[in-house]
Amino acid sequence: MRSHTLAASLLVAGGVIVAAFVGCENQHEAQEKKAAAGNLGASASLADLMKARNLNEADVEAALKTYVPTGKMDEYYIFASGGQSGNVDVIGVPSMRMLKVIGVFTPESWQGYGYGGDTDKVLESGNQGAFGWAGPAHKIRWADMHHPNLSETKGDYDGQYLFVNDKANARVAVVDLTDFSTKQIVANPLAASDHGGAFVTPDTDYVIETSQYPAPLGREYAPLSQYKDKYRGVAIFWKFDRSKGRIDPAQSWAMELPPYTQDLADAGKLDSDGWAFINSFNTEMATGGTIDGKPPIESGSTQNDMDYLHIINWKKAESLVNAGKAKSIAGMRVLTMDVSGPEGVLSLIGEPKSPHGCDVTPDGKAIVVGGKLDTHATIYDVAKIKALVAEKKYEGKDPYGIGILPFKDSIQGQVEVGLGPLHTVFDDKGNAFTSVFIESVVAKWSYKDFKQPVEKLKVQYNIGHILAAEGDTVSPDGKYLVAMNKMSMDRFLPVGPLYPQNFQLVDLTGEKMRLIADMPIGNAEPHYSQMIKADKIKPLKVYKPGTNTVTMSVDPNRAEGGKERIVRNGSKVEVFMTAIRSHFTPDQIEVEEGDDVTIHITSLETAEDQTHGFTIDMYNLNVSLEPGKNENISFKADMPGTFPMYCTEFCSALHLEMTGYFLVKPKKK
Amino acid sequence: MSADEGSAERGKDGHVHLHLAAPKGIEGGGGARSWDRARWVVVLSGVAAVLLFAASFFRPWWSFKLYAPQYPQGLNLEISLTGMGGDVHEIDLLNHYIGMKHLATAAQMERHLAGYGVAAIGVVTLGLLMLAGKKLNRLVVIPALAFPVVFLLDSFYWLYSYGHGLDPKAPLHIAPFTPEMFGNGKIGQFETFASPSMGFWLAVMGVALAVVGTVVRSRVCASCSRAGTCGAVCPRLMVLPDAEVRS
Repeated sequence: MRSHTLAASLLVAGGVIVAAFVGCENQHEAQEKKAAAGNLGASASLADLMKARNLNEADVEAALKTYVPTGKMDEYYIFASGGQSGNVDVIGVPSMRMLKVIGVFTPESWQGYGYGGDTDKVLESGNQGAFGWAGPAHKIRWADMHHPNLSETKGDYDGQYLFVNDKANARVAVVDLTDFSTKQIVANPLAASDHGGAFVTPDTDYVIETSQYPAPLGREYAPLSQYKDKYRGVAIFWKFDRSKGRIDPAQSWAMELPPYTQDLADAGKLDSDGWAFINSFNTEMATGGTIDGKPPIESGSTQNDMDYLHIINWKKAESLVNAGKAKSIAGMRVLTMDVSGPEGVLSLIGEPKSPHGCDVTPDGKAIVVGGKLDTHATIYDVAKIKALVAEKKYEGKDPYGIGILPFKDSIQGQVEVGLGPLHTVFDDKGNAFTSVFIESVVAKWSYKDFKQPVEKLKVQYNIGHILAAEGDTVSPDGKYLVAMNKMSMDRFLPVGPLYPQNFQLVDLTGEKMRLIADMPIGNAEPHYSQMIKADKIKPLKVYKPGTNTVTMSVDPNRAEGGKERIVRNGSKVEVFMTAIRSHFTPDQIEVEEGDDVTIHITSLETAEDQTHGFTIDMYNLNVSLEPGKNENISFKADMPGTFPMYCTEFCSALHLEMTGYFLVKPKKK
Repeated sequence: MSADEGSAERGKDGHVHLHLAAPKGIEGGGGARSWDRARWVVVLSGVAAVLLFAASFFRPWWSFKLYAPQYPQGLNLEISLTGMGGDVHEIDLLNHYIGMKHLATAAQMERHLAGYGVAAIGVVTLGLLMLAGKKLNRLVVIPALAFPVVFLLDSFYWLYSYGHGLDPKAPLHIAPFTPEMFGNGKIGQFETFASPSMGFWLAVMGVALAVVGTVVRSRVCASCSRAGTCGAVCPRLMVLPDAEVRS
């Protein structure tokens, strides 16, 4: 049977072919696997290395705890306030390597943030003015950023958004962590500065921003002689619309506060959900006057033994606002003190003078206030406070008719932590960690059992804020803590009289705290920071083609491959341009002097990390074009001449060739 | 059990592997039941082959992986009968530096006709299996076998043609080349690895089943009462009951 034989041999032949394919190995992957297996064989013994580098065993242990080899990744992100830089620093833990600086309040030229593209509008929305003033809002391009706060769900970080405040200009910004870029700046219409922000409520319904230095609401002029009558503090409850990822100013409201200098704030959680706490100093309402021989504010404001912790029942305040009990001031609904005092939504409790730090414990049952000029951390009891407020059990009223709750009946106790206690964060074992500024230590104590001895760790030097891994949520991780020191003195190579700040990483896994790494911060003085588990953050790798990164949707004016064009309409010139390795289309643009030029430029790249930039020389323009991103650049071609335009991010071997010309023909005279 | 005895005898012929598919006792007079079983094997293997061909139409046939330092995860190109998937955009982008045409312009006619082609091969394979007389019987397997072979030859043609039709005005000038179609290769900074993928293997399985069908079919014919008298087409449509089967 020949067909039989033929078929059999075909099958055999097929089998041989199959075997040949299966036997063929991907050499690249095989080599990668081999490389991953490691390459042992250090040239020197560990002991020799330690000797040569002058390291002791503790150093080596610290190195092993913090070293992140190439190709491996950190466990946590830190989002640090960039202080006077106005931008956010993103740092990896435990390596303490800087990952990114996010442009927020200050133009950031690498990201093309505020250099001619769509983000100009984000920065412009942060321009400030005085209410009732007819002039243009002031262009503000710096900030004194203080307190970053990650969005929360049920009191735990959800890794979606970051909110930051600008103390100097009373503003709050929203950073979207899907692309680590700033989407919104809201300008506080009432306060002249802020400090108690940005703090989120447990489900991020509100972002709280509390004023610092009192001023008339809306910042109108009023002489200092009218301080007690006209000057006020204010707490803004910015409504966050998570579905849009933006603060909705129209749904936001505020509470008028006495003209004490409100300081730090925190939102309650769990047992204290629905409440907010703000501490204050200068309840003396001193206004200085040093040139006239009056005492400076520093002494005028420190005469009383006690200042006031403000207790706000914001859920009740919200219902009062919704019931129409608020007044409209500078376009915002404000619950004034004549309502909030009698309604009991605002109360005061004494606190040791000039306190700092106002931190709710993970269980939401207590508030820890750092004494600053007092050696204690004072622990307020939420249950007691709620009962006192409900019974209106006041020991008196302040000049504005706000009830004052009795201090002794409101607290759980006080712990002596050292000279100059400021801020407190928590671990997962019932421990609190307080930064102690004057003494330059981190003080560890138990907020469950006040009797345990306080353990102290020296830090270098002048610790301000303190942060721990998810240490201000309902479920802190423990493990790591960072002391954010104001001074670094002898810690780093000298760089002139302006010294870097010093972030010091502390290991919390052992019986005692151990300092394991220093990181110089050389771009500003950070204030608060937060540390979040890395797997909670899931950023984009590339944008959907044509994305406007401010709206996070596909831009109707994006340019598409093959449809690039220049449209002229009188003195308006619109260019639809694409960028892809290694050319722009079009790469020649000629306009007339005085033309209004808009360039819609879209990156056609789809591969991870293939970023281009775009600039027109001398026009103060630069945008960053991550894969898929669209930017709309509008400007007046008011300067005739010949201007190269080119890609500003080294994108490819032909990057230098990724260029073209922008020609501005002079007007005929 | 005569069927088993018959099976053992044939085992001496050295074609033991066919026993799984071939009905036992056709020649040994196993009766109508064995005939039915044999016919079913032909029908089912034919139908299964056609289904596998159809399935292969929807799966990628060939995959290319390209590795370079800046692509640690590698770039993927997956070729199917109707188009290609994976990092086509990125590969095109890289190819433009050496003046290679866009991948999407290759084999347009083939991709356009692929659906009809698979349908035709299915119909012809099944049709021949059912209808071919003794003279055509040996051809049954040819269209099925041609299916993956034509794909391989055509792919090779396009690889050759694209590697040898580089635009002389491209930024980088490189010598004409043919990308490796099997196993490891190297183009510029890229290490490449090419191998068949699911669609191809489905088609190979289809071919194997068509071969099985052909073999069983030829044995059914050999035992047919009209063996040697039928022409190009089997007048009894092998699948119909045959009252005159030698019994």
